[in-house]
Amino acid sequence: MSHDWPGPSPVTELRTEGLVHRYADGGVRALDGVDLHVAAGERVAIVGQNGSGKTTLVRHLNGLLRPTEGRVTVDGTDAAGLTIAQLASRVGLVFQDPDRQIFAGSVRSEVEFGPRNLGRAGAELRDAVSRALEATGLAGEEATNPYDLGQSRRKLLALASVLAMRTPVLVLDEPTTGQDARGLERVRTVIESAASEGRTVIAISHDMRFVAESFERVIVMRAGAIILDGSASHVFAADAWDALASTHLEPPLAAAIGQRLDLGSTPTDASLIRALGP
Amino acid sequence: MTAIAAVALGGLPGPIILVAAAVVLPAMAARVLGRLVRTALLLALPIAISAFLVNLFFFPGATQVLFRIGPIVATVEGFGFALEILIRILAISGAVTLFYLTTRPGDLTLDLERRGISPRVAFVTNASVQTVPALVERAGQITAAQRARGLDTEGNIWRRVRGIVPIVGPVILGSIAEVEERTMALEARGFTRPGRRTLLWTPADSVRQSIGRWLMLAALVALIVVRLTGVLG
Ligand SMILES: Nc1ncnc2c1ncn2[C@@H]1O[C@H](COP(=O)(O)OP(=O)(O)O)[C@@H](O)[C@H]1O
Ligand SMILES: [Mg+2]
Repeated sequence: MSHDWPGPSPVTELRTEGLVHRYADGGVRALDGVDLHVAAGERVAIVGQNGSGKTTLVRHLNGLLRPTEGRVTVDGTDAAGLTIAQLASRVGLVFQDPDRQIFAGSVRSEVEFGPRNLGRAGAELRDAVSRALEATGLAGEEATNPYDLGQSRRKLLALASVLAMRTPVLVLDEPTTGQDARGLERVRTVIESAASEGRTVIAISHDMRFVAESFERVIVMRAGAIILDGSASHVFAADAWDALASTHLEPPLAAAIGQRLDLGSTPTDASLIRALGP
Repeated sequence: MTAIAAVALGGLPGPIILVAAAVVLPAMAARVLGRLVRTALLLALPIAISAFLVNLFFFPGATQVLFRIGPIVATVEGFGFALEILIRILAISGAVTLFYLTTRPGDLTLDLERRGISPRVAFVTNASVQTVPALVERAGQITAAQRARGLDTEGNIWRRVRGIVPIVGPVILGSIAEVEERTMALEARGFTRPGRRTLLWTPADSVRQSIGRWLMLAALVALIVVRLTGVLG
């Protein structure tokens, strides 16, 4: 089978080394030497202003883009020797724009597509599909044409279609953009449960509150490079604000309030409330 | 026109000269030869190769053997005919590609409207012209989306061919939906309002261009007449 992974591999670990990407047309170095290591089971958020290279970076993780220089390894294997399809069995990527991802005529066939390619069938396939639809609040919409769903639910469908593949790594490109409050809550829950199953979750987002609440590690990108990398309380601490501002980001409100009241680094609402005391 | 002429012209030397004169030279003049060759080959290759092989090996009534692979026999007649087909397919795809590379869709619509063609017809023409690059773009997107979900289309030819199947449906359905959406957007902006409208600008059109067009058209008509009456080839 083409999806067989070369060699044994209990966990999935990702690494980029000196990763440079130049889009053929244009000549901009969209990635300018990125060294990144993500261990199995980590929850990582990637932030940075538009055009800083976030999408370009994550599209290297499943081979949709290939390095101009440097390399990407998945469980120590150079991704250059693996097809996108092989990588896709490890790294599930939800695209930034659902309309570029969705192609099927019904919600069910859209969600079935991935697991089928990975060789799932019968009860296992049905189970994977129904759990993905349940998690994204799309149960009951199996026969619906994706064109008839609103933007927010189309994004959730794109998420479901990757969730159903149950890949050890889940990469979400801007899952919160254009999402309403209920959709945002769904996304949060999906990330929580994926993490609790030991899966790695990497997400790009502009919502700093969401980032601080749902991710243990935050990576800040500017002009194709990583400028900050650490825990939310480190990246959103006052001494990193200048670096954040240099890529037009503001820390979450809780962090700003904590700073004003001299409470130390309080990136999340919960940490702020705790710091405020009884 | 070049495409029709290539089919109408029989034999081998005719179409070759035609490709040179009507596709390669203008492409060089417009400095798009490199892109033209790449795109035209991409469009034509799947059809061209299969047509070439079918004719090379299975030309009906052929007797002169060129070479054999097991039970399959390549014939001289088949080879000749296969070459003819090949050059015609290249002429067609070359002409179509040249058109896309050198004609801005906006120019085409304005020009059609200026000539008194109804905006509706001009719009439909324009929409179909724009559909091709849109289709190519959409096909690329869907391929990426499907590979990212484990569809194996890399590697051997058979896999690649199989990979095309799940793409065709969505691409066509998607483009129909898109044209529908554009039509609605136009209606919403009063496109279907009756009465004459004023064009904001006029594409440049010199006397030489106009004479050139008429000459080409006349040559095409003459060619078809000649071909049908059997004077030539
Ligand atoms: N397909 C492409 N062709 C050429 N340049 C691109 C393409 N996609 C992105 N870029 C450029 O690469 C840079 C990084 O883009 P991207 O990775 O999409 O950033 P982000 O996801 O952080 O907004 C930008 O300068 C962008 O204009
Ligand atoms: Mg992006």
